[in-house]
Amino acid sequence: MNVLDQARDTEFLGREFLTWLWFKTETEGGLFNLEEGLTGEFVVDGTLTLTSDSDDRRETVVCTGENPRLREARFALTEHKKVTQARFRLVIGDDTWVFTLDSMWMNFKSLKGPKLLRDPGEDPDGMFYEKMGVVEQPVAAVDAVYHRFLEIRTSAEWEESEMPAIARWIHGDSLE
Amino acid sequence: MNMGFMQRSVSFTRFQVEDPLPEDYTESFPERIARRAFRKIEEESLEERSEGWVNIMDMLDSDFSAMEYFKDPYLALSWRVDTRRVPSNALKRYAGEAEKEIKKRERLKYLPKKRRDEIREYTRLMLLKRVLPSTQVYDVVWHLDAGILLFGATSVKLCDEFRSFFLKTFECGLTPVYPYSLGERVLKEAGGDPGLLYDIRPSMFGGEVQP
Repeated sequence: MNVLDQARDTEFLGREFLTWLWFKTETEGGLFNLEEGLTGEFVVDGTLTLTSDSDDRRETVVCTGENPRLREARFALTEHKKVTQARFRLVIGDDTWVFTLDSMWMNFKSLKGPKLLRDPGEDPDGMFYEKMGVVEQPVAAVDAVYHRFLEIRTSAEWEESEMPAIARWIHGDSLE
Repeated sequence: MNMGFMQRSVSFTRFQVEDPLPEDYTESFPERIARRAFRKIEEESLEERSEGWVNIMDMLDSDFSAMEYFKDPYLALSWRVDTRRVPSNALKRYAGEAEKEIKKRERLKYLPKKRRDEIREYTRLMLLKRVLPSTQVYDVVWHLDAGILLFGATSVKLCDEFRSFFLKTFECGLTPVYPYSLGERVLKEAGGDPGLLYDIRPSMFGGEVQP
């Protein structure tokens, strides 16, 4: 099986991860322990794209707005749609990043991080290393949270407690 | 100055480098990069596309006199692609004029399709010399120790073209990161069992509420 076929066949993992991360941001404040004792706070920041799993009737809804508890987005989950793209805000210490993650390739789109302190004219190499730190930190944070997701997803906890909690959240108070 | 990855807003795709880093990479890579360094399209040429490596901090520099791409532990370059394309409306107009001229000169009422195709291709090549190339630059940062490469674009077509160029340069393949491969890697790095992913099937989130 080539990479594209395998990516398509297993894209559901990316969709479930983004949906789970949205669930965690709304129900537990989106706080995660990262490496080296750091804590990262994830918040859905604006746009969510949800798509149905079935290939024969592929439907997509895009929900935007300041309030991530969008009625339409939550309603789309009840129709077995899952998140295929989401814009997140990540806060680690005093630093903030915003970026869009997609479920197929886990690409980072329109990533914006803390402003660089070094001047490219005076210290181009210093600026390069500073920027790579700014780029790699959210990547490492997402990988750490993805690892946490997989630990739950591959354990009995997923069926026993996480799935029921997600179902309760989907059918929860914001839809009433 | 090209600031791609250095810009305020960045989009990128992650790749896993398929082969281990060659032991002699500090000697072999400069040669490989020089062989595929960017060369601009000459004005009078009929070239439609030119691609090659340039300095990540300056897209006009493809000499790499100080091997600036080695930024331990990274190898940082930009992939520059210049293309020339004749605008379709201009091609239609100039080819039409040429056909008219030929019909008049040869006293013909009709030109066969083969002849019209030849005129169109000749006209396209003549116009191509007058078209200025458009330039696109995509930054590439390869973490040599981790075997992870960041490529500054997210389009599948561009990623495929870039993988092909990277393979030609380094004779080394790139596999895009996707949720399953990333899962295998993060589980392995944490000492877990990647085999746990083999039997996972999709979950239905929107089903009935369980008590």
